[in-house]
Amino acid sequence: MLTTTPYLTIRRPSPTTAEFTLTTCPPLTLPLRAALFGVLCLRFIAVLSVIIGIYAAFFSPTGLLPPPIFPSGRISFLDFDLNNFLLHILHLLYISRPGQYLASLAISLPPYAVLALSALTSYIALFARIHTTESLLVLRGLGIQMSSSVGGGNFFRLGGGTFMKRTRFIPTEKIQDILINEAFKGFEVRYYLVIVVEGEQDVVVCFPRLLPRRKIVERVWRGARGCLYEKDGPVLSAGAGGGGGSHGGNGAWRGGNGNGKGG
Amino acid sequence: MAPTYRIAMVCDFFFPQPGGIESHIYQLSTKLIDRGHKVIIITHAYEGRTGVRYLTNGLKVYHVPFLVIYRSATFPTVFSFFPVFRNIVLRERIDIVHGHASLSSLCHEAILHARTMGLRTVFTDHSLFGFADAASILTNKLLKFALSDVDHVICVSHTCKENTVLRASLDPLMVSVIPNAVVADNFRPLGYPTTTSTPPSSISSPIPGLPPNPSSSLSSSLTPPRRILGPHDPITIVVISRLFYNKGTDLLTAAIPRILAAHPNTRFIIAGSGPKSIDLEQMIEQNVLQDRVEMLGPIRHSEVRDVMVRGHIYLHPSLTEAFGTVIVEAASCGLYVVCTQVGGIPEVLPGHMTVFAKPEEDDLVAATGKAIAALRRNEVRTELFHEQVKNMYSWTNVAERTERVYNGISGAISEAEFYGYDHLKDHRNGSNGSWTAVTATRGMRSGVQSFALIDRLKRYYGCGVWAGKLFCVCVIVDYLIFLFLELVFPRESIDICPDWPRKKKVVDTRREGGGLEWGDVEEYRRRSRPSRLR
Repeated sequence: MLTTTPYLTIRRPSPTTAEFTLTTCPPLTLPLRAALFGVLCLRFIAVLSVIIGIYAAFFSPTGLLPPPIFPSGRISFLDFDLNNFLLHILHLLYISRPGQYLASLAISLPPYAVLALSALTSYIALFARIHTTESLLVLRGLGIQMSSSVGGGNFFRLGGGTFMKRTRFIPTEKIQDILINEAFKGFEVRYYLVIVVEGEQDVVVCFPRLLPRRKIVERVWRGARGCLYEKDGPVLSAGAGGGGGSHGGNGAWRGGNGNGKGG
Repeated sequence: MAPTYRIAMVCDFFFPQPGGIESHIYQLSTKLIDRGHKVIIITHAYEGRTGVRYLTNGLKVYHVPFLVIYRSATFPTVFSFFPVFRNIVLRERIDIVHGHASLSSLCHEAILHARTMGLRTVFTDHSLFGFADAASILTNKLLKFALSDVDHVICVSHTCKENTVLRASLDPLMVSVIPNAVVADNFRPLGYPTTTSTPPSSISSPIPGLPPNPSSSLSSSLTPPRRILGPHDPITIVVISRLFYNKGTDLLTAAIPRILAAHPNTRFIIAGSGPKSIDLEQMIEQNVLQDRVEMLGPIRHSEVRDVMVRGHIYLHPSLTEAFGTVIVEAASCGLYVVCTQVGGIPEVLPGHMTVFAKPEEDDLVAATGKAIAALRRNEVRTELFHEQVKNMYSWTNVAERTERVYNGISGAISEAEFYGYDHLKDHRNGSNGSWTAVTATRGMRSGVQSFALIDRLKRYYGCGVWAGKLFCVCVIVDYLIFLFLELVFPRESIDICPDWPRKKKVVDTRREGGGLEWGDVEEYRRRSRPSRLR
């Protein structure tokens, strides 16, 4: 529900530029936004419970309240003690019913289990991302910029910020060719788009995380070649039209793949 | 017009490794592509050769990553190949799976999985095996397993057919004989005219006993000059083989000193490598024959012709051989062939090109002596061999006949046409049964062979008391894996490969008149076959 199979969106800011974005995030509708907000809340709650668990297991709080927020007794802005304030809140949460429930769980477990469990939970809550977004920005005369990231867009909208973003720019003069290749991956043979870069032993794989299916790969291939190499004539006639299916039949796309180098 | 197929050739042995099976697969695939079929090759990954590759003509090769155990045969893991195999078959939309070589476990597994997936299967056997030793018994049992449910089997010679039928307990009717071939243009004698524009036609009747070719007078201008040997001209004997026990290197080691002692003005050229080369070298040292025996070491297949044309006689001392492509190559180079009469060798060349010997030292020496004497008398017209071989062996013909097998198993030509009317008639009369009796026994073997699991199990169950049950379990597990794969990797999620632009289907290229009809050669072979071959 929260993700789809990767789909392609093509953006053309100028006639000589094209951005191919591949994402597993479905278009943002109201229910999806609500669901993603729910996920965000879940993350928050998970982190909070980890803190409560550790507080209960390792700081052995008494039933008493921690030191007051305002040590001097007067409620004034200058006298505000942040540590005490946070401890106060934490203690309030701890003595609440779900807090007590968590605390009893944390005490009943051995310390290493509490540590491991909280590490795991906080890792998932903070770093796991639902969506993967990868994009290919083709600029005629300049080159190709590839980026690949887990998560995508801004933090609140997509239930997690962009994370582990990898970006790479390949200037035009270094690009020898863009082609579609096949290779074994796991138990299958997959199509993938590669850029042959001058002076590098390995080819550069586009969309390495998502490895889209043949139809998408072909559309991007056509579009990228069109944008890079076709000097005149309709740029991106292949890609931007929207219908990827009607281009020259079956055999034509192999033109660039004929010398297919082994993956 | 016959349909075209999408064919997957599966074998452990393929280029870059050199060898007879490898080039057989390549040549056959190329010619099948020329006839309008789509062919892919599935093999395992070699050092420096992995992934998916294209060869000339759009021949696609899948080098599946696998563990290699012995002489580039993969480790037999019965089921681990299935997921990848299924993926390849589905994305290439394969109709027929054609396995090669009985030592290739990849091929046997592919045939099993292909039947589970409901595809037609063909198996080509390239080698002869014994029945006595433990390894052979094991291999034969595995072969029986693999061939219990195959649609058709192709053997490279009649001897090979007998051998395979016995080893795998097959119905002889479902085994065809399609020999190997050579690319005659690559094995041209020295100083042979290179014009290819003139239509190839035989110069005289290639086989004695057949009527001479009417067009011989026309093309006699093409005849290369006759090589006249003077009484003291040196005669060179060429041996090209891997120096293994089964290739008869021991015989060769024993025979060389005697041949050289009996015939002055002869010398040997030996090419190839192997464990027995040390014996040969010792023999040369002991008899001080360094100036008369030249050891070239390992050579590439493309250099074979250049070595062959340096000689007059080709000596082939092999102890077992299913077909022996190398003697055809030698004859094509215009060499007089001396060979042991084992396996399928007697079927390969007509009598006037060869001198046969029993596989023993004395007879080999005597036969070589006979050959040298015949050459000295200038009796043998070796310069005509090339044209004759060219007319006898062509890959186009092999592809045509293989295509007929495909037509037969996929039901494009009727059962009666495929297996012969006579047979069906005999069977109907003889067994007092009706048509149904025929289809129950033979018919199951032909184009209508059932894919139903229960029918397949019946076929496997007959393999042996314990083996039958074991094989049935294997087949059931395979079927379960198939169902599991359908669930986990659904067909819709597999991308379909666009086909390489197909060539136009060629109509039968058999020459009318002029040349030699294939049937004649076939008939000749059948007649000339000695009764005892093994």
